[in-house]
Amino acid sequence: MTNDARTTSARTAARAAARRLSALSRGAAAPLALAAGAPLVGGLLLIAQAALMARALDGAISGGTTRADLAPVLLAIAGLIVARAGLGFVGDCAAAAAAETVKRRLRNDLFRRLLAGDAVAAADRRSGALASALVDQVEALDGFVARFLPAAVQAALLPLAFAAAAFAYDVTVGLLFLLTAPLIPAFMALVGWGAQAAGDAQAAALARLSGRFADRLRGLTTLRLFGRLEAEAAALEAATDELRVRTLRVLRIAFLSSAVLEFFAALGVAGVALYVGLSYLGLVDLRAAPLTLGAGLACLLLAPEVYQPLRLLAAHHHDRAAAIAAVQEIERQFGALATSDFTLAAPALVRCDDGPWAIEASALTLRTSDGVTILDRADLRASAGARIAVVGPSGAGKSTLLDALARLRPAEGTIRLGARALAGIPEARLRAGLGYVGQRSRLFHGTIADNIRLGDASASDDAVRRAADRAAALPFVERLPDGFETLVGEGGLGLSGGEAQRIALARLYLRDPAAILLDEPTAHLDAATERLVLDRLLTFARGRTMLVATHSATVADAMDGVLRFEAGRLAPCGPRQPRASLVKDAAA
Amino acid sequence: MIALLSFRRLFAAHAGRFVAALALSLATLAAGVALLGLSGWFLTAAFLASAAASFNLFGPSAAVRGLSMLRIASRYGEKLAGHDATLKVLAEIRGWTFRALGRGGLDLGRSLRRGDAVARLTADVDALDSVFIVAAGPLATGALIGLGLTALLGVLLPAAAPVYGLAMASALIGAPLLLVAATRRLGADAVRLSAELRMATLDALEGRADLVAFGATEAARRRSAAIAERLARVRRGLAARAGLASAAVAVCAGAGALGLLVASLEAHAAGALSGPLVVGLVLAALGGFEATAVVVRAIGKFGAAAAAAERLKTINDAVCPVAEALRPPPLPRGGGFAFDRVTYGYDTGRPVLRALSFSVAAGERVAIVGPSGAGKSTLAALLLRLADPQAGRVSVAGRDLREAASSDLLRRVALLEQHAPIFGGSARENLAIGDPFADDAALWAALRKARLDDVIAALHGGLDAPLGEAGGTLSAGQARRLCLARTLLSPAEILVLDEPTSGLDRATERAFLEDLGPATEGRTVLLITHAALPEGVADRTLRLVDGVAIEATP
Repeated sequence: MTNDARTTSARTAARAAARRLSALSRGAAAPLALAAGAPLVGGLLLIAQAALMARALDGAISGGTTRADLAPVLLAIAGLIVARAGLGFVGDCAAAAAAETVKRRLRNDLFRRLLAGDAVAAADRRSGALASALVDQVEALDGFVARFLPAAVQAALLPLAFAAAAFAYDVTVGLLFLLTAPLIPAFMALVGWGAQAAGDAQAAALARLSGRFADRLRGLTTLRLFGRLEAEAAALEAATDELRVRTLRVLRIAFLSSAVLEFFAALGVAGVALYVGLSYLGLVDLRAAPLTLGAGLACLLLAPEVYQPLRLLAAHHHDRAAAIAAVQEIERQFGALATSDFTLAAPALVRCDDGPWAIEASALTLRTSDGVTILDRADLRASAGARIAVVGPSGAGKSTLLDALARLRPAEGTIRLGARALAGIPEARLRAGLGYVGQRSRLFHGTIADNIRLGDASASDDAVRRAADRAAALPFVERLPDGFETLVGEGGLGLSGGEAQRIALARLYLRDPAAILLDEPTAHLDAATERLVLDRLLTFARGRTMLVATHSATVADAMDGVLRFEAGRLAPCGPRQPRASLVKDAAA
Repeated sequence: MIALLSFRRLFAAHAGRFVAALALSLATLAAGVALLGLSGWFLTAAFLASAAASFNLFGPSAAVRGLSMLRIASRYGEKLAGHDATLKVLAEIRGWTFRALGRGGLDLGRSLRRGDAVARLTADVDALDSVFIVAAGPLATGALIGLGLTALLGVLLPAAAPVYGLAMASALIGAPLLLVAATRRLGADAVRLSAELRMATLDALEGRADLVAFGATEAARRRSAAIAERLARVRRGLAARAGLASAAVAVCAGAGALGLLVASLEAHAAGALSGPLVVGLVLAALGGFEATAVVVRAIGKFGAAAAAAERLKTINDAVCPVAEALRPPPLPRGGGFAFDRVTYGYDTGRPVLRALSFSVAAGERVAIVGPSGAGKSTLAALLLRLADPQAGRVSVAGRDLREAASSDLLRRVALLEQHAPIFGGSARENLAIGDPFADDAALWAALRKARLDDVIAALHGGLDAPLGEAGGTLSAGQARRLCLARTLLSPAEILVLDEPTSGLDRATERAFLEDLGPATEGRTVLLITHAALPEGVADRTLRLVDGVAIEATP
């Protein structure tokens, strides 16, 4: 791709992001209207304030007004100052309300998309970036909604209002305002165009450099282990400093646009002062009637205000750029998340009492996310109440099979649970009837009790304790300083793999499933604990169907039947298979 | 705030640039104030002049033009000088952060692997970097302008000076201090809620299967929505306080101008102050509003920078987890190592490794297997002295690591990390990290041993072809092989390979493991793996269960 093409496509993407940004902002139309409207009214009050100020000065200097006459004028000015401050406050609050509404809605929407995404958890690195998008990137929209949008409205309307007010005093001054104010954006754009291309290239260089900084930070341990820290630190400094030199070359052009703004603003003030002054002296004579001191002063007081909204807009321009970049990053992170028509579920914990569910699959084909076939049109049957072990080498696809049976990942073929097609079981009914504990269960941020209550949010302390006991978790939980109230998960105490696994098992004991799918429930346990966990599981499994993926011979031997999973096939093995029939790979 | 001060040396090194930027921004403000004041004076004087002939037009009009030009030029210069100084400091803060982080321990390496820690660090560096341009500069110039105008009043209109000075002090100092005090608790709440939201997101992402399986997705959504709602409320509270402070600043500045107006009109009525001076002073005071208008925003940025400085300082202050021995003797020759009753846990009292003992002779190839979380990677970290054991000793070539120089150790032992990164850049840049002085022949030899030479040779540009962000153009298997080549380039006699085949499909994994023997010929190898090992890859296999190693197979 050529540089030009790259810039063009980047601009197209930025325009699309800007449109999405506007669409997001429309969700908070009412507070936004107030956020933009309050400063507008404040601007109009400023016209009155300038007029009163000018009258007070005029009265005192040229007319000899008495102190008594001045008092109400001064009071009115004070009133206007307070009213404008009040309007500013209202505007600020409304702007914050608008921004917070936009951000909150977007966050909730993103969170929903995240839950509705593909069940296979993203790699660690990606989840960090996704969380950062939901928290930090969404926060970057704040400046755009709260500051840039109101500033844009003010910049479009207030200069015209000030010019109109100036017309009431003097046509020439009005024309001067009317001509210079709209010219500013035009000139800024003109200067800006020159700087834009160079600026884009520079921004890209800066982003690359920031990327390099982040890249090297991520691999910090590697650099340290190879003794390359100091060399990389020096290289980073040198690259940043080299960028500084190049950036300044570009900024010399880019800052011309702020010089243009300053030029017109100074021209406005100086122009009004000189024109009015010369009119007073009679050296310029464009008027029918002589100009009063009050009118001249009012014009001068308005002059700097005409350009103020534009300066404000220029100051908040980077808020827009930052928001566009943030929207693009959010799309990049979340766009990759596949959205299905998944519904969020809160199942009733009491299932329909229809006895244990048989687990059946026919012509089941499973593929990993990168397209490798791990099961090819296989059949499987575990009759109601049977306890079956699924064995096979690591990586053969045992976990994938369990995920598919639990409707956590898509599969080809037919799966039936309790004689109903899996695809047709309502989410709430499925989750109430099917117990599932994965191989690497997540410990959520919260206490151990909270984590166990994932099984049943309404479980009593006593029930939680009993569940922990059945999962052989009680001994180590009681040894922890805060017991069941110990904070675990992200930002909490780290539990070992075996401990986390037993907490996850305890969740299961708070439920009453018709079928149970377990993935390596005893992987991290010593022999004695494994035996204990297994016995409790077998007790719990009475009157339920249970499928256990395992490496452990102890676990496999305790089941009614064993399915061996190897090289894309599932085959029954072992001497005892009274109630499980497993039928070969259909291709065989 | 105090943390911010500890960075002053980085800024002080470029004091000249900052002073220049400050002076220029002061000149911009002062020129604006003077322009408005002079214009008011000129206009009124012209009105009062009876005839054009008796009025000196040249002086004021030249001054008006001069001030205009000064303002344009100084505004331009101010921006340029400010950005120059800022970028200069940015380079140093980055270098500083990098070196400070480099001293960190094992936990840091883990948290950096998550993208968000890196993102927060970069954001902190940027916030600290811009503290001058967006916060310190405007506050300082504002205070100076307020002081200057008060002093001017002290000469021309002493009656108004205290009122005006008080009003400006309230606007520039009082209101900001009140704002800081009024937002401290809410600010901490906002940080805490953001962290909670981040954790809820990570929980939903990585625990999605559990949430779905237990039908808890709706509950998770409600919880996250409640956090977002609370966060929004807190931020609105912060914005309302900032808005109130802005209003207070506006009222204070307005009161100052109004007080000045009243005092000057009194003085005028008493004949102590001429009409043009009255107007000039009042307009100059109004021009000073430009300085007060930015105060609240600057304070907000100041707070953000102070918080960033606080976090960066914590990194620097973190105690280095391993202490370097004073003048350690050189490491004896030899490629053997041993763990002797080593106990280590991230939380003391809950050890991951419990009195673990085993030894590996020079040239031996030993595999370590065991369930995840059993402490296999911890073992590798201890061998490279990313942390010291809480009990027992780790020794290389018979020398306790605590009595060895870290540079010696890193030359003797090389680690292929479980999550070893591919750096942005070319294959050459990535390999140079293993050995910066290796020639092309050595690089190709390492690539050949890792069986990646054909892939790199096929790239347009070969060794120098850009590999894309985080090695995006390579497949997972190729990326892993590049990391292996990098490790093989190191002259270390002992190689520790932590899950070298993670992320590879089974066929690639097999090929990779079969190549490993010839590639590491002559060196001691500790292979940490989950994979089923083909015959002959390892001389023996140790199984790590419950923090203790058990000999698994001969």
